[in-house]
Amino acid sequence: MSEEIIQIETPFQFNEDNKREFDELIGRYPVKEAAMLPTLHLAQRQEGYITPAVMKYVAELLELSVMKVKDVVTFYPMFFEEPVGKYVIRICHTLPCALRDCKVVLDHLKEKLGTDVASETNLAKGTTEDGKFTLMKVECLASCDVAPVIMVNDDLYKNLTPEKVDELLDNL
Amino acid sequence: MVQERRILYEHLDVPDINTFEVFRQHDGYTRFEKAIAEYQPEELAQMVWDAGLKGRGGAGFSTGEKWSFVPRDIEPRYLCCNADESEPGTFSNRYVLEKNPHLLIEGILICCYAMGIETTYIYIRGEFTLGKKMLDAAIKEAYEQGYLGENVRGTGLNINIYSHPGAGAYICGEETGLIESLEGKRGQPRNKPPFPAVQGVFMKPTVVQNVETLCNLPFIVGNGVEWYTQMGPTYGDARFDPPKPDPNTGTKLYCISGDVNEPGVYELELGLTCTELIEVAGGLRGEEVKAVIPGGSSAPILTHYELDTRLDFTSLTLAKSMLGSGGIIVMNETRNIVDCLLNIMKFYAHESCGQCTPCRWGTPWVRDIVQRIADGEGRQTTVTRPKFGITESGRWGDTGETEEIYEDLDLLENVANNIANVDTMTWNTICVFGIAVSWPAVSYMRKFRPEFEAAIRESKLVTLSVAEATVPPEENYAYQQRIIPKEMADLE
Ligand SMILES: Cc1cc2nc3c(=O)[nH]c(=O)nc-3n(C[C@H](O)[C@H](O)[C@H](O)COP(=O)(O)O)c2cc1C
Ligand code: SF4
Ligand code: FES
Repeated sequence: MSEEIIQIETPFQFNEDNKREFDELIGRYPVKEAAMLPTLHLAQRQEGYITPAVMKYVAELLELSVMKVKDVVTFYPMFFEEPVGKYVIRICHTLPCALRDCKVVLDHLKEKLGTDVASETNLAKGTTEDGKFTLMKVECLASCDVAPVIMVNDDLYKNLTPEKVDELLDNL
Repeated sequence: MVQERRILYEHLDVPDINTFEVFRQHDGYTRFEKAIAEYQPEELAQMVWDAGLKGRGGAGFSTGEKWSFVPRDIEPRYLCCNADESEPGTFSNRYVLEKNPHLLIEGILICCYAMGIETTYIYIRGEFTLGKKMLDAAIKEAYEQGYLGENVRGTGLNINIYSHPGAGAYICGEETGLIESLEGKRGQPRNKPPFPAVQGVFMKPTVVQNVETLCNLPFIVGNGVEWYTQMGPTYGDARFDPPKPDPNTGTKLYCISGDVNEPGVYELELGLTCTELIEVAGGLRGEEVKAVIPGGSSAPILTHYELDTRLDFTSLTLAKSMLGSGGIIVMNETRNIVDCLLNIMKFYAHESCGQCTPCRWGTPWVRDIVQRIADGEGRQTTVTRPKFGITESGRWGDTGETEEIYEDLDLLENVANNIANVDTMTWNTICVFGIAVSWPAVSYMRKFRPEFEAAIRESKLVTLSVAEATVPPEENYAYQQRIIPKEMADLE
């Protein structure tokens, strides 16, 4: 992707706090490119997802081509290229959680939210119409002892049952 | 019953152990101070080798030996702490990061001093938001207290630690994938050699070490090599004369999950058996153990007949499996092995980084075959070509017997073995992710063949959550008794 063909409506810029954090970050590495992942995390936290404008901005900050940034963004599942809900619900469905009936929790979530599960290329599929929730399946969250687990944005919820899911969603 | 031996986890549940002050009250940083006061860097590296510490992240490679490959005349050198914990079934690093991050920092300080390293990056899994928060707070405190930064505690050492978040890719746990990712690229593993010890991050010599491995260092320094080597068995490698000592020393943070009553992390001396560990974890949830995955989902499966296998590096290697990350997943008699394999293969198909053709294409192919079998659409042919032998009439001729050929099982083994051959242990891929795919695929299929055959024959539909077993246990047992050698060589 060359820079000309990207349609950029409104340019993106870090807010004060993030700019300060970025300035601190960049000093940690002998090459600027290495600050890529933390920088993208900062940008995603501010903007909600990685827009073309974000990629262009990050490319300028790190003195790289936009293509290189795009290359990285597409590789990592945690970076979104589409808008997601206010609450991103990640449900683990790897073996230890499957042995503890994560399927029941997943089915319950699907029914309760009235949405399907997002796929990496189609986040809208798992996003509720009001834009409040996005439901996605993820691999082992390193909490198999308290399976089944979900993460809602940054927080982990353990030993889930349909009742606990109800309670949790009602409190959001 | 085997007793827990809490060393790394000893103070884990002390309130506020994550703060410098409380950590300090529990011997915090005294081991680092001892290291500086009493030992030269080279002596420390030798101590770690003598202690027999093996990497806890997956490969189980001797830490001291790895350090000896690092050229000490090339500057700068780096330490990358692998906190990407994403092997299914593993969750011990998370607790260290969330509850006792200063212990990790102390381990890192010792490693940095021993190896003359000034910069450490802790590559921490993107999903570990709480872990990263606690770790960052601890790093900040350590800077404030003068244990990090320039001229650490007046010793003239400069040591910096930075945490670096990942972004959800499993392959970034592989050491060269981690390095690429740290450099701001796609986390695609590099060809080896050169090994990271010689050319790692930013093309400089790099030590990559798991969180748990580093957390062992303060105790080796604090209590001495002799104390450390008393824990866990030391075997003799009989291929050498006299037998070369093969240490499996220290404790291991065993993570046990699945069908046990009290899943969790148990710190025990290396070398207890599967049965003992299940007992420690509150016993089995169910009637009988059907299978155990001993070292994270990449490890070959152990059956009912192999529960006496000791959970240490050497014993599991001899049992053609591995201790890996120490994530033990237990399955009871009701579980369907085809479904379990399907679950794991979906994981690998999703996580292949896509660099090598055998892995990029082969892994989804294996997944599709298992999916087909699980969906009751597995391919099978009944061959009616003449089979010669003594016929009913007592003469030589076509006996009229037919032969069942399970095409999909042959295909499964063939595809898996062409990603990485589990019999010769050679792989057609850049990294050993290839082995991590074919190991479970082939071992589940070989050890539970009756169940795979039944799934194909009976077209029984199974689903995402682990379904019921398709054959009665006896059918598997009868088969396993034939294929699994009864007695493992006695080691000690
Ligand atoms: C596919 C794959 C995934 C891995 N994931 C991890 C991981 O999540 N954490 C880890 O510490 N080591 C992981 N490893 C092992 C590392 O490559 C490396 O051996 C280890 O970090 C070295 O540290 P140690 O010697 O202290 O164990 C993985 C290896 C492979 C092949
Ligand atoms: S084996 Fe798979 S994961 Fe490893 S480098 Fe090749 S494609 Fe990537
Ligand atoms: S399998 Fe769900 S947390 Fe590990």
